[in-house]
Amino acid sequence: MLSGMGLRLHGRTRTLVLGGGLAFAAALLGLSWVVHFHSRGSARLISIEEAPDLGDSCYRPASASLARRDSQRGLFAEFGEDTVHAQDASSTVSLARPPVRDILDTAPIYSSVGVDVERNEVFLQDSNTWSVRVFSRMDNAKPGAPPTEPRRVISGPKSDVQFNSCVYIDPANGDVYSVENDIGDSIVTFPHDATGDPEPKTKLKITHRGFAMMLDNENQELFLSVQYPPQVAVYRKGASGDEKPKRLIIGNKTRLSDSHGLAIDTRNKLLFVNNWGNISDWQVPGSGRFEPPSITVFALNADGNTAPLRVIQGPKTQLDWPGAMSVDPGSGDLYVANDMGQSLIVFHGKDEGDAAPARVVKGARTGLSYPTGVFVDAVHKEVWASNLGNSTATVYPLMANGDVAPLRIIRSAEENKASLKFGKTQALVYDPIREQILVPN
Amino acid sequence: MHGFGFDAVHDEICVMSPLAQAVLIFRGAANGEEPPMRVIQGPKTRIQGTAYEANDKVTVDPVNNEIYVPTDPTPNGILVFDRTANGDVAPKRFLGGPDTQLRGSPAVAVDPVHNLLLVNSGDAMLIFDRTASGNMKPKAVIRGPNSGMGRISSFQVNAQRGLIIAGGRDGFIGAWNITDNGDIPPRWKIPVQQLTGYVASGIALDPAHKEIILSAAGQRIRPVRGIMNTVITFSWPEIF
Repeated sequence: MLSGMGLRLHGRTRTLVLGGGLAFAAALLGLSWVVHFHSRGSARLISIEEAPDLGDSCYRPASASLARRDSQRGLFAEFGEDTVHAQDASSTVSLARPPVRDILDTAPIYSSVGVDVERNEVFLQDSNTWSVRVFSRMDNAKPGAPPTEPRRVISGPKSDVQFNSCVYIDPANGDVYSVENDIGDSIVTFPHDATGDPEPKTKLKITHRGFAMMLDNENQELFLSVQYPPQVAVYRKGASGDEKPKRLIIGNKTRLSDSHGLAIDTRNKLLFVNNWGNISDWQVPGSGRFEPPSITVFALNADGNTAPLRVIQGPKTQLDWPGAMSVDPGSGDLYVANDMGQSLIVFHGKDEGDAAPARVVKGARTGLSYPTGVFVDAVHKEVWASNLGNSTATVYPLMANGDVAPLRIIRSAEENKASLKFGKTQALVYDPIREQILVPN
Repeated sequence: MHGFGFDAVHDEICVMSPLAQAVLIFRGAANGEEPPMRVIQGPKTRIQGTAYEANDKVTVDPVNNEIYVPTDPTPNGILVFDRTANGDVAPKRFLGGPDTQLRGSPAVAVDPVHNLLLVNSGDAMLIFDRTASGNMKPKAVIRGPNSGMGRISSFQVNAQRGLIIAGGRDGFIGAWNITDNGDIPPRWKIPVQQLTGYVASGIALDPAHKEIILSAAGQRIRPVRGIMNTVITFSWPEIF
């Protein structure tokens, strides 16, 4: 152990300060020295400096560390050696301490709803626990009742269900389709009674940002909306693997822009696509612009850079981050899950321009909370909504209008649940002014 | 949205609208459907992204009043705008070219004390002078198996301590020194994936409470507890 009042080095008197265990012992003796050791080979004295008077503390403030580096460089220069700041892997201090807090929602966050009207089952897509949850169509969580138990849950690594945005039930055979919107970039299918962690029946590789899908069983086609570059991809029904679309509706004439919900009217041969209006050509710098949200209507067999037959757009439409859509095949009415509008809005199939909805389901009694999924059950004359904001699915009469209470509620959390609405927590910032964490969805 | 910024000096939120090639600046207390105070968008901006990533990240430097936007694919680099820019404005400068080693849509941070621009590109931390422009080589690169440097959507610099807080390849969050160069391991690390089962994608610092806050979403790694979205806070007084 080094001791003493000072050490002459190159004609200057400095106080030797000891680090680590030596510093502790030195502190006990009322000494305050730092010794810095060369990290290559055996330890040898490389610099000395006066440490601040810290009393009995062994803590060395940051300024001392910076001073250490300066003295190292200076000393190496005097000795003619290269500056060294070597840390081998063993010098990394690993801090295996538990988190002090975490923020997460343990309840499902429902992004989409599909209904098997033949088997009377409701399928809810959950992006928080990466699952599809299956309930009875007649389930109803009354006030005070515990959360509704699902009949089956499809989830697990083999199922490849991840941040899925759409669940769809094939009316022909009850097959379950699920669209992955983010890193999975696929559509997986399962038999109607799938449960647990099954391998998909089929897995179709799709372009990034696929959002919603629907089948046209008459023409054996699968329609997929894609947010960006905005397009509708039409595949052969049953397509799998790397099979490419039969046709693409894409291009500036289409007026597709950040496309989300999609619906088909097979009777009138129409394709409806809703758009959020964020648009750019990724191949052209500075081409971005904002347009109002819209619904573009195409012929069902549209292909290529085709202009829509008509466009529903304008402030009267109340469109506000529109999500899924569904057509009543009997009337041709178009139902829209109007996410930020906290509503279900209904247009007539022939609406055009700045058209007000024919009906709007909205209000405190509805139980709607950021609805992103909708499904028309034409057999039972009901319309379903899946709610991102409260872990529920709610069902209404098909002609519901105004602030109407749901007929039934499937609830997967406590009553009056306010979901975190975490879609995918990829980023965050900290606001030190308000001491708040900002998390984009 | 994979990376955005909070400007605590001017109380503003700076965020990309990824599909519209626009930088949006909101009031710090903005709520609901409040419009942005400023929008940087248009042909002069040269903002461009890829079909896959679009424009998913932006960084703000409130000390030097600048906004950084990674751009891809051609040219691959970083556009720098004045913080108060509004409308169709040209960038102040552009850092890009093969010598920069910039790839894809990297995360960017600024150290206004030491005047450094740091870019996490691939599994490397590229360190430039803050005002670097054109096809410039980084002045230092932290990369290699010992460094453990990985890739993360957003990282931080504690400029007062001269520390880079970034993601490691094995799911740890590490603290490197801003003077590090080469295959240098971090001074400290928190093995986040090992401890929690999550791989962090974004980092924020809270110096007042000496904590780091991490965003994590299941990304090809299914957390054991089955919840795919979380925000996790660690105490880390060593780096403050």
